[in-house]
Amino acid sequence: MWEHRALYVAISPFYILFAVFGLFPIGFSLYLAFHKWDGIGIMTYNGFNNFKYMLTDAEFWQAVGNTFMIWIYSTIPMLFFALIIAFLLHAPFVKFRTLFRVGYFLPNVTSIVAVAIIFGALFANNYGFLNYLLQSVGLPVVEWLNAPWGIKVAISSMVVWRWTGYNAVIYLAGLQSIPQTLYEAAKIDGASAIQSFFRITIPMLRPVILFTVITSTIGGMQLFTEPQVLVGNDGGAGAAGMTIVLYLYRESFINNYFGYGAAVGWGMFLIIALFSIVNWKLVQGKSS
Amino acid sequence: MVCVLLISGCSIWPGQDDSANNKKVTLTLWYWNRSIDDKLIARAKEKFPNIELTAQKIGGDFKAKLKTTLAARSGEPDIVALNDWIMELFPSEDRFYNLYDLGAGDIEDQYLPWKWKQGVTPNGQMIGFPMDTGPTALFYREDLFKEAGLPSDPEDVTRQINSWDAYAAAGEKIKEKFGGKVFLTDNIATVYNQVLSQAAERYFRPDGSFIGMDSPTVRKSWDTAVAFKEKGLLANADGWTPGWNAAMNNGEVASFVGAVWMKQVLQEAAPDTSGKWRVARAPGGDGNNGGSFLSILKSSEHPQEAFELVRWLQSPENQLEQYQTLNLFPSAPGVFDDSAMTEKEPFFGGQATGPVFADSAQQVPDAFFGERYPSVHNIITRRLNDIAKQNANPQQVWTDTVHRVERELQR
Repeated sequence: MWEHRALYVAISPFYILFAVFGLFPIGFSLYLAFHKWDGIGIMTYNGFNNFKYMLTDAEFWQAVGNTFMIWIYSTIPMLFFALIIAFLLHAPFVKFRTLFRVGYFLPNVTSIVAVAIIFGALFANNYGFLNYLLQSVGLPVVEWLNAPWGIKVAISSMVVWRWTGYNAVIYLAGLQSIPQTLYEAAKIDGASAIQSFFRITIPMLRPVILFTVITSTIGGMQLFTEPQVLVGNDGGAGAAGMTIVLYLYRESFINNYFGYGAAVGWGMFLIIALFSIVNWKLVQGKSS
Repeated sequence: MVCVLLISGCSIWPGQDDSANNKKVTLTLWYWNRSIDDKLIARAKEKFPNIELTAQKIGGDFKAKLKTTLAARSGEPDIVALNDWIMELFPSEDRFYNLYDLGAGDIEDQYLPWKWKQGVTPNGQMIGFPMDTGPTALFYREDLFKEAGLPSDPEDVTRQINSWDAYAAAGEKIKEKFGGKVFLTDNIATVYNQVLSQAAERYFRPDGSFIGMDSPTVRKSWDTAVAFKEKGLLANADGWTPGWNAAMNNGEVASFVGAVWMKQVLQEAAPDTSGKWRVARAPGGDGNNGGSFLSILKSSEHPQEAFELVRWLQSPENQLEQYQTLNLFPSAPGVFDDSAMTEKEPFFGGQATGPVFADSAQQVPDAFFGERYPSVHNIITRRLNDIAKQNANPQQVWTDTVHRVERELQR
């Protein structure tokens, strides 16, 4: 080992940084999850109380439910639109394709706080743009940010707006990796465009779809900034926009239950892991 | 972080003091925008030539930043501004100097007693020196009140709309007159907060025990807020939102009980209504909402110099000056009679609102908050919003809230 020490020194920055900023916080949060700590005073050992409190806390389960609802509201339309957009971008008749690709990717690099402010103006109960449109065609206004489903729709639409282009670009890469010869062979055998879409494109895209489903699951379970900026730390009316991470944030940094926040973090880790496995099995299952 | 380390560097290495630096003492001060006048800080540097003052305007989430720094035990400032969440830091009183030990007792009589007490922990340690205060009063639209056949002169309003019942009755008149297009007040949380702020007793006793959700104060505040909702007197415009600004500017809200610093907020939100607002004493009594403090952290190596600076920055004269420059309402009643406090204000139709708030400030009841006040208070106002906005059953929500608060206190 010692004769290679120059090499170890060369690769050490990553491991040192990972140990300091990755490994230590993970270990510390596990330690913290079994303690009671207000962030400043002394830490006291709390056993499994934090976890017990979490499992019996109605607000925690509401946050879990909200997160799943928002995930469903956002992921299904998002991946659907992404696939269509990718397909169109791949089509030979579309001109200025690079321009479109950049355009669809732009929402992803826009500051999320700016996005939330714009969406806040769109969905505002009074003087909101959507309600203005509804009113101008003679429809009754919707109190978007007071209704439990309205808050979820507003948050989901932000997610859709932000991530559709990103997923489209990934799907596009997947589409481009499918050998053209497969389509040509199918054409010679007399397959229609729809047949080749469902028999060639979708099966060949499965690994890419799996990737986007898993990343959307992780991203969706970790949703925080959108609801926080749109409806505040308490998740808005009836806590309908309270997600798991927002709950974690409020309990740790607003209410100063840092030990409890750490426990919620680990609870969330388990939920994401389980849910990712379920998704993986589902998407995988179809192929075999 | 690096900056902070560099700046505080001088005080970490005491050896440097001897090195020809004519023994300047280095002090760091953390404050947020508009909590201290920048010009005053510049003058402090002239006034105290022996102090090398580094004043840092901390942006973003001030409280979170301070707490993180306290938790890390490094990079702490010498002097720090605290907002009305000061009670959350009472359990960590050992991280602050007791200002009584530094001579604060000598000038105690220059400040409002209730304000002074808010900076003193239950153990009698004074950790916060009074800065500005937030006495409350009734902001109302003189034109709308007149049109609805209500008293409209500030003195008449003060005399006649003197209780929450009288105020609600005025709201019914407004609702009738304007066919539901103008609401008496902005939102349910304002009503609850203001009724609560007028009482001496909140959720906890000074020994830390919980009074209980059935305390008369809490019940009265809750019932008043719910009654306002049931009578349809609320515009459901939440503070600090564009919707609130629009509701104010469009004349949808006829009045609200708010702290003195709402003057600035209102003027910026509703420029179109300039000249139409007036201020009267709040129905149901005077209260306080907000206001800040200055503290000296235990990590400071020069507490005595820091205290002299704090004392000068918040002297009655300098507080008066900051009232003129930043609208920070003084906590030193000695300057309430100054001509600067009685200036006529065009936004309020030429009314001098200073005396109204000054009278209010002197009547604020002593109140004990307790370090768990914010979390309990937050649970209750959150639930009230469900009643106001989602038409939740008030009795159901009350039972739920009592349960939730009990659970919270068992943690």
